[in-house]
Amino acid sequence: MNARLLALLPAAIAINLVIGGLVNAMGLPLYLDSIGTILATVLAGPAVGMLVGAIGQVLFGLINGYQWIPFGLIQIVIAVLAGVAASQAGFRSTGRSIAWGLLTGLVAGALSSIISYVLFKGVTATGTTAVVTLLRQLGLSLPVAVTASSLALDLADKAVAFLVVGALVRSLPNRMIGRFARAALAVGR
Amino acid sequence: MSPDPGPHVGRFHPFTPLVLTLCVAVLAVAAPGPKTAAALYTTTVVAVFLGGVGRAALRALIPLAPLWFFLFLLHGVLGDGDQVVILGLSLSREGLAAAVTQACRLGAIATASLTLYASFSPARFVDAVADRGWSFSTAYLVVATLLALPRFRARALAIIDAQRSRGLRLRGSPLNRVRAIGPVTFPLLLGALAEVDERGYALETRCASGVVHRTPLDPPLDRVGDRAIRWLAGAGAVAVLLWRVFG
Repeated sequence: MNARLLALLPAAIAINLVIGGLVNAMGLPLYLDSIGTILATVLAGPAVGMLVGAIGQVLFGLINGYQWIPFGLIQIVIAVLAGVAASQAGFRSTGRSIAWGLLTGLVAGALSSIISYVLFKGVTATGTTAVVTLLRQLGLSLPVAVTASSLALDLADKAVAFLVVGALVRSLPNRMIGRFARAALAVGR
Repeated sequence: MSPDPGPHVGRFHPFTPLVLTLCVAVLAVAAPGPKTAAALYTTTVVAVFLGGVGRAALRALIPLAPLWFFLFLLHGVLGDGDQVVILGLSLSREGLAAAVTQACRLGAIATASLTLYASFSPARFVDAVADRGWSFSTAYLVVATLLALPRFRARALAIIDAQRSRGLRLRGSPLNRVRAIGPVTFPLLLGALAEVDERGYALETRCASGVVHRTPLDPPLDRVGDRAIRWLAGAGAVAVLLWRVFG
């Protein structure tokens, strides 16, 4: 592994964990715990993004409890889809970033709802579970409530995450972009 | 990075608490009902207190409390099936059993994980990995990230303070809070990319990318007791898993 990747990986993992914690503290119904994964994928490819997602989830488990490890699978799916988006210049404009974010949110939400229902009986992060409880009180069955809340939150979450990474990479000077060849392709330069 | 590991847990080889935590996670997932799950959680808490890191078990209650509340609400109060009245509340019998099982599973895993974190020493872990002849990159990634976390948190708080002094509002309507995401995350991300540049050069000048094996400065002792605990715990977890799958 080259020195730049050795430096990028811890930073990207720390971004996932710190921004995830910040958003949680701001009381927003979003996670934003995949910005580091998406950024690492755009800069260095999906393999690096998957590594960031997997190691990040292991360290998140170490700090917050290993019960959340199964959600690491979603980080890997996000890295794969962000890699496809980057190869298709999916971060070239705000609209394209949001569209790819929504597509990723759809896949991540579907996967998340399966993990939440099968392994966690619908009780996961506080914001999501509050929505599930509300939907259950409205008469929806538990599987439907879990799927609806996971999809709604993941669509919004991944759209915002892709939007932030797209805006960031587009704002980088050519000197910086030049160090990460894949980033130029992702923003269509 | 982590608090004082305490008098007992700190004496183990760094891999021993790691293996024990993974075994607790496997046993928790395999626990078939509320009684087994409750027994596992109780055993974990007692072991953690005996290990001198009881504070980790108490700290685990912070993330666990809302999960336990929602498990009770979703499965006990809003659950279907036979109803049972407890303290004047009509609760689902099956839902309550599912809630207790899941609550104890999560309790055991979270308690074991936070104990591992409380006893984790990055320097000893790097030396243990180097002593085994494993890849330097793997150890570096784990340790560099754990050391980067407090630095990034401090930087994020400094950015928030600076932006608030310029009029940024982090409270109020959800729209206001969504608007605050950009001014908070952008400086953090740009700072992180600048740091990647600096650290990349620093690692390159120290030939970090060419290191295959590193000689450990002070490798932790891997006693017979450590190895026995790891093998017994691992074999026990595998046996329980096989019993649950094929039994």
